[in-house]
Amino acid sequence: MVMAATPGTNHMPSTGRYLDQDRVRKALGHAQELGATYAEVRVMSLTESTVAMRDGVLERAIPGQELGMTLRVLADGAWGVHSTTDLASLNDQIESTTRLAKAVAARRSPKDRAVALADVPIIVDEQHWRSVLDVRHTELDVKMELMNDLYRGATGHDDVVSVRAGWSDEHLHTELMTTEGMDRVWSFQRSLIHGMVTARRDGEVVSYRTRHGGQGGLEVIQACDLVELGEQAQRAALRLLTAERAPSGKMPLIADRDLTGVYIHEALGHPCEADLVAAGDSCLDGKLGHQIGNEIVTVVDDPTMMGGYGAYPVDDEGVDTREKVLIKNGVLTEYLNHRETAHHFGVDPNGGARAQDGLHHPLVRMSNTMIQGGHHADMDELMEDIEYGVYACGTRGGQVDTGRGSFQFAAQEAWLIENGELTRPLKDVSVSGLTLQILKNVDGLTRDAMLASPGFCGKGQTVPVGDGGPVMRIREALVG
Amino acid sequence: MSMLPSDAEDRLLANAKRLADACQASGVEQWDLVGFQSYGHELDIEAGKITMASGGGEGGFGLRLVDHGRFGFAHLVDVSGAERAVKQALDIANKSPSVNGFVLPSAQPAETVGGRFDPSLLDVSPEDLLEQADGVLSEVASLDERAVVTGGGVGISATASCFMSSEGILSSGITTSHGIGLQVTIDANGELTSSYQGESSRKKLAEIPDCIGRAVHWAQVTQNPLEVESEPVDAPVLMTSEGFSPLFSMVVPPALTGEKMVRKESFWSDKLGQQVLNGTLTVLDDGLLEGGMSSGARDAEGVPRQRRTLIENGRLSSMLWSTRDAAQQVAEGRIDAAASTGSACSGGHQAPPSTGCTELFLTSSEASRSRIDLLETMQEGFIVNSVMGAHTANPSSGDFSVTTSAILKVENGEIVGALKQAGLSGNLAKALNGHVLLGDEVRRQGSYSSGSMHLPDVLLMNGLRVNPA
Repeated sequence: MVMAATPGTNHMPSTGRYLDQDRVRKALGHAQELGATYAEVRVMSLTESTVAMRDGVLERAIPGQELGMTLRVLADGAWGVHSTTDLASLNDQIESTTRLAKAVAARRSPKDRAVALADVPIIVDEQHWRSVLDVRHTELDVKMELMNDLYRGATGHDDVVSVRAGWSDEHLHTELMTTEGMDRVWSFQRSLIHGMVTARRDGEVVSYRTRHGGQGGLEVIQACDLVELGEQAQRAALRLLTAERAPSGKMPLIADRDLTGVYIHEALGHPCEADLVAAGDSCLDGKLGHQIGNEIVTVVDDPTMMGGYGAYPVDDEGVDTREKVLIKNGVLTEYLNHRETAHHFGVDPNGGARAQDGLHHPLVRMSNTMIQGGHHADMDELMEDIEYGVYACGTRGGQVDTGRGSFQFAAQEAWLIENGELTRPLKDVSVSGLTLQILKNVDGLTRDAMLASPGFCGKGQTVPVGDGGPVMRIREALVG
Repeated sequence: MSMLPSDAEDRLLANAKRLADACQASGVEQWDLVGFQSYGHELDIEAGKITMASGGGEGGFGLRLVDHGRFGFAHLVDVSGAERAVKQALDIANKSPSVNGFVLPSAQPAETVGGRFDPSLLDVSPEDLLEQADGVLSEVASLDERAVVTGGGVGISATASCFMSSEGILSSGITTSHGIGLQVTIDANGELTSSYQGESSRKKLAEIPDCIGRAVHWAQVTQNPLEVESEPVDAPVLMTSEGFSPLFSMVVPPALTGEKMVRKESFWSDKLGQQVLNGTLTVLDDGLLEGGMSSGARDAEGVPRQRRTLIENGRLSSMLWSTRDAAQQVAEGRIDAAASTGSACSGGHQAPPSTGCTELFLTSSEASRSRIDLLETMQEGFIVNSVMGAHTANPSSGDFSVTTSAILKVENGEIVGALKQAGLSGNLAKALNGHVLLGDEVRRQGSYSSGSMHLPDVLLMNGLRVNPA
């Protein structure tokens, strides 16, 4: 068993260091002597807690501390990577990881580009986003009491057969040192509460999920009326018991904030990830500067949006974060980049590199992705001229084929719209389409855009994200 | 040089012993712990070339303490924090409700399950993997010069694991795995099509596994889509093993857990002994499968694994239990008696055991048929090889509504062409209770829930709606 060189059994102070800087500098210097053009060591410590309750009773609580380190070596224009929980083994891995990079480079054909990195400011600093109420000091009793608020709101109806409540919080501490002299430390926290109400009537079983959370500590959860969150979930679950199967076919669709967020995440966000574009796996390849959506559509991805579940102070290559405007008035203006893709496309990195944890290398990822608000006053205005369509809300997730530009996302509940009015509740509504068609079909947005429920995004690695926007109307969407 | 240090298992056990001593010293009634340490090499492929080689090791321990029917859990990487982890788990146990009758399982003899360790994989070097990846890229190009591997990779790993408990159970061992997954894309005549296919095994895979040919094939056959009317149609659908597995694994295994059954959260609650699937179909969980990715001698609580028929000739005959779930549901009066079926699944070292399947087989009492025979029976309908959004299927009801870009239209028993995209919806439990025929080639697939799915092609004659885009 390899052992992590943790500094002790206590939680690390956020200003402390896991990496022995002198040792790491020597190791990185050794990589350069062996021919590396760039090397980095990134360590991430995760202090986390998850809690699960069912029907107001504690099912399990799991405190944990994880630590991982990833060494990346760029040599002869190719990457070698080594990940481990054994921080003390760093010196032993320099030679083999550099050799690995060179072995990959040796197989590159003359027509293929060598990997190179865009220049970035070399920064030595510490950035700590301190929570008002540090999650590491929150007692289990406090978490259970808040989870019980959600339970109290959601229970109390004969058709509700169970209410599950879940909690997750984490304190992330990252250190990055590079051969370029970058030496950054940053930390922040995330908190999340979620619930699932299961209802049953006449053999029909339905469930409805709800979530609240964001970047920050206990104050994030305390800011939410959890009883009301539970009550909303109960009402939705009971509605689903009487809901009909959705109609199939092409029709106008109105999406609430949650679904608007998932739509823009799947349909646009993923194809905007420059690693996919560079790999020939994005329908947005070659579309920069082109009108790809209705001119009312402006989309941003912003890790500096404090409080968003996808917020982070520094990306996992040590690049400062900033707002990225992906679409401006329907025109594709920017991809999400890390240093490698930024060099490939001849632009500056924009802080889009994220790794799941200390044992994974950074990929190009989204953070908090939103469509900005439009000109419609409210949903009634969006709905008034729809003869037959669907209003869909809440998300059960989505998926995209970035190369083909086809996507799918599913709603938790929905209503039929008939002659400008919501008429009957529907269930199991999913929406699919092609990115380059459907962005042009967005023809109405309410003014009030904001982040919706927190979410998770999978791309081989899982990272927390925030999505949202206003209420959105799509002129024609394929509803299933 | 071997991928796995020669003393990996011994070191894991030595650290587990240290944790066990801390548990013992705490005076807690019962405890169990799991430990893992993995080592591996991996290659990433993008845009038709190998872009990254990576390797390393990771692991950790999870420990569960039980005191008067209450349990607490904690996980850690560094066993120098053993005392703190034990204290955390005890604190949690003290705040947890007591489950009357919940005790950790006693030691029972378990069968040995072979085929889960291939020593030849330990000697596979990163350079050997590079050779394999080169061969795969060449094979794709030789099958279709337009085809490009736009994503995926090749990897091998070896994992030392151990289980130890206060009840005298001690097991440890080493498993290996070799996996490959490729996204093959063809961009021709303004039409981009792609297919992801993968394969994994405890043993060394062939240098060019079958999934490579399948990936190229599906990227080819979905080119030049037909112009069709966008009208929903109820039609028979032949789902390939790859297309069916994500939906099946999302919906069926959760419905078979005892806890969901007795809590009325499964669409098969109250149906024990009743016909729930087509009378020809049998669902079997083989926890003792030789060479299985999820099988083994013992489950995650140390209980011997079993081979268990869950649905026999369409009748629901059994359900899956872990020790704790069984004790809890009995204690809460939802069922008179229940006992572990050896179905506790590990979520790695970071989570306590849950309940799930291991190696789930769907079989038919009727003679299995070739794909040509199935198409002949279908006459008019569709073939679906992959779906998007299977994770959005509703496991409580079996309802699903997904999207596919790997769909072929069948007329008069013959494939007439591809559709560009279509929606596919229905209720999987109901569709499997209708007219169902199975193909003759079973392939192992990954899973959205737990375990592996061993599935043939499945022809669902009723209950599905196809909605061409």
